[in-house]
Amino acid sequence: MAGRDAADDGDRSKRRAGLVPYALLSPGMLWLLLFFLVPLVTLARTSLSEKESRFAVDADFTWHIANFTDALRDYSDQFIRSFAYAGAATLLCVAIGYPMAYVIAFRGGRFKNVLLGLVVVPFFTSFLIRTLAWQTVLFDSGPILSVLDSLSLVGVLERIGVARNGGLLQTHASVIGGLTYNFLPFMILPIYVSLEKIDLRLTEAAKDLYNNGWQAFRKVVLPLSLPGVFAGGLLTFIPAAGDFVNARFLGGPNNTMIGSVVQDRFLVQLDYPTAAALSFILMVIITLATLVYARILGTDDLV
Amino acid sequence: MTLSHPARPRRSPRGGPILDRRQLLGRLGVLAGAGVVGPALLAACGDDDDGDTGGGGGASKDLWFANWPAYIDEETVDLFTEASGISLKYTEDYNDNNEYFAKVQADLAAGRSIGPDIIAPTYWLAARLITLGWVQEIPFDDIPNASNLLPELQKPAWDPEGKFSLPWQSGMTGLAYNISATGRELTSMNDLFDPAFKGKVGMLTEMRDTLGLVMLLTGEDPGSATMDSANPAFEKIEEAKASGHIRQFTGNDYMDDLAAGNFAVCVGWSGDIGQLALDNPDLRFAIPEEGGMRWSDTMVLPNGAENVANAAVWMDYVYDPENAARIAEYVGYNSPVAGVREILAAGDDFQKALSESPLLFPDDATNARLHVFASLDEDAEAAFDERFSQIVGA
Repeated sequence: MAGRDAADDGDRSKRRAGLVPYALLSPGMLWLLLFFLVPLVTLARTSLSEKESRFAVDADFTWHIANFTDALRDYSDQFIRSFAYAGAATLLCVAIGYPMAYVIAFRGGRFKNVLLGLVVVPFFTSFLIRTLAWQTVLFDSGPILSVLDSLSLVGVLERIGVARNGGLLQTHASVIGGLTYNFLPFMILPIYVSLEKIDLRLTEAAKDLYNNGWQAFRKVVLPLSLPGVFAGGLLTFIPAAGDFVNARFLGGPNNTMIGSVVQDRFLVQLDYPTAAALSFILMVIITLATLVYARILGTDDLV
Repeated sequence: MTLSHPARPRRSPRGGPILDRRQLLGRLGVLAGAGVVGPALLAACGDDDDGDTGGGGGASKDLWFANWPAYIDEETVDLFTEASGISLKYTEDYNDNNEYFAKVQADLAAGRSIGPDIIAPTYWLAARLITLGWVQEIPFDDIPNASNLLPELQKPAWDPEGKFSLPWQSGMTGLAYNISATGRELTSMNDLFDPAFKGKVGMLTEMRDTLGLVMLLTGEDPGSATMDSANPAFEKIEEAKASGHIRQFTGNDYMDDLAAGNFAVCVGWSGDIGQLALDNPDLRFAIPEEGGMRWSDTMVLPNGAENVANAAVWMDYVYDPENAARIAEYVGYNSPVAGVREILAAGDDFQKALSESPLLFPDDATNARLHVFASLDEDAEAAFDERFSQIVGA
């Protein structure tokens, strides 16, 4: 009897233990259901709907696939541009962010926290304000251009495509630069975290095995820090591809990104179906790109 | 033709005039002449919360006017409250016609109140709201001063019966330029496309202003625009955009670009340049020889507005020429109220100069060259917007 009781108790507690994870998950699941799944389904529905008249508030669901084909046809330039800008900005973020994270993690010493703090400080100001500040800094009569002008460097910059018509704004470079600046901390922090975990004795071991410093970095430190680069790449590329603030304030009419088109469709044209279709296409491309990217860089170590 | 602007008291950018003591006293002296110095002084003492003075007898003492930024002087709101006892909530949250429409569309379509009792859509949006039946008739019986509305603005194309809207201010669209960047006065729309200014040219995202001016250059009449007649202008803008001739399409922020030297020349609004020229005398405004555009921002009462009677009191107040003159003096656009010019002409030197400014009071020859963009029906408007936004956003 006692034995069976104990078994029952065990079953019950096991059953209870089986429910605990679900109980713990439920707030998050509920959140996702309410604020991710429901909007997603609504968006999908809208993207396949048609509006009876322009100023009708509701669109009728009619499986209107043409929203997607029209959107792809009319806005392929902006899609390509968005991913090209976001890709360039991500690469620049790695190029700038990796050395910074490396120095902070291994050479920061007692200034480590101060340096990390400095990386985060710009976040205390709104994204929009920081971008507008760049606009002012890069104005034709602004400080950077007058310095470049006095050094006669504007012509050189024009030849390599950074400047245009004697100005620094409204160029591909200004938008990519803005994206890089705004998303750089999202690259530095994950790389820093993965570098910081590395046991430096491993590089000593590599050197004992006749690796020079560069080889030790390439064969030991770099592979161990790749999860950070992977995470940083995602955190930079995804928001950058959908961004419209940088293109709006630092770019011109030939630098618009898909985010601006979505905004224009939603707010100016009141064309919710096309806007929804564009958002959906953007989401699908980003998901596919992420999957491919995960295949190449691998997500197993990503925790 | 280049329009110059008389020197005015220094004014903070997009803010109110900075008055020194002498000017302030002078200003109060003007008001004393109008018999309202007492309330003005009271208002100056910061006592702006006494909604019980004055009669009226209405149930509510509230009113809410959502207007464009920097579109009224600093005294009128307080003076109105003093005179009428109505507490006016004056907000400057009307920044963009399309965005505002998108914001209130769902509520108005569903017949819900949007909050403000008066909003300030530009004429073409007023036309859309009137066509959609989303605005209330204005109780003109309670607005005797509405008879001061200039004859040319009565029963305008956007409100053919003249029942639903009353202009707030009108203005002109033309060429705004920085003479230190252009090196010469500009007189023609061709100057906007001069290759010398490549990459230093701005256009407005307000379609009717930009497209209308370019249509005049292509020899078409914006007043009867159709997709066919507008096409050469669309193509001209598209080509200039693709080649990098046009640097940016902007809203109100074109003024920053012009002042900062990013734009040598752009499409601009008459009143803004008057204000900007105070800080930077190199900034000029011209109605090109091909012609310019004329527009009005209106006051309309959205459906669901609760304080219509108080709105009528406000409209009557600002259509009093004395009050209209005070507003016109500050904003520098074209007042829709008859008699403003005479009042300014009888004022101090500064006001006298304003009364002679072609920016505030264009002469008959200029008026004859100003065009109002055609009223587009829903389908045509959608086609125009679509084409224009593909140029601006592609």
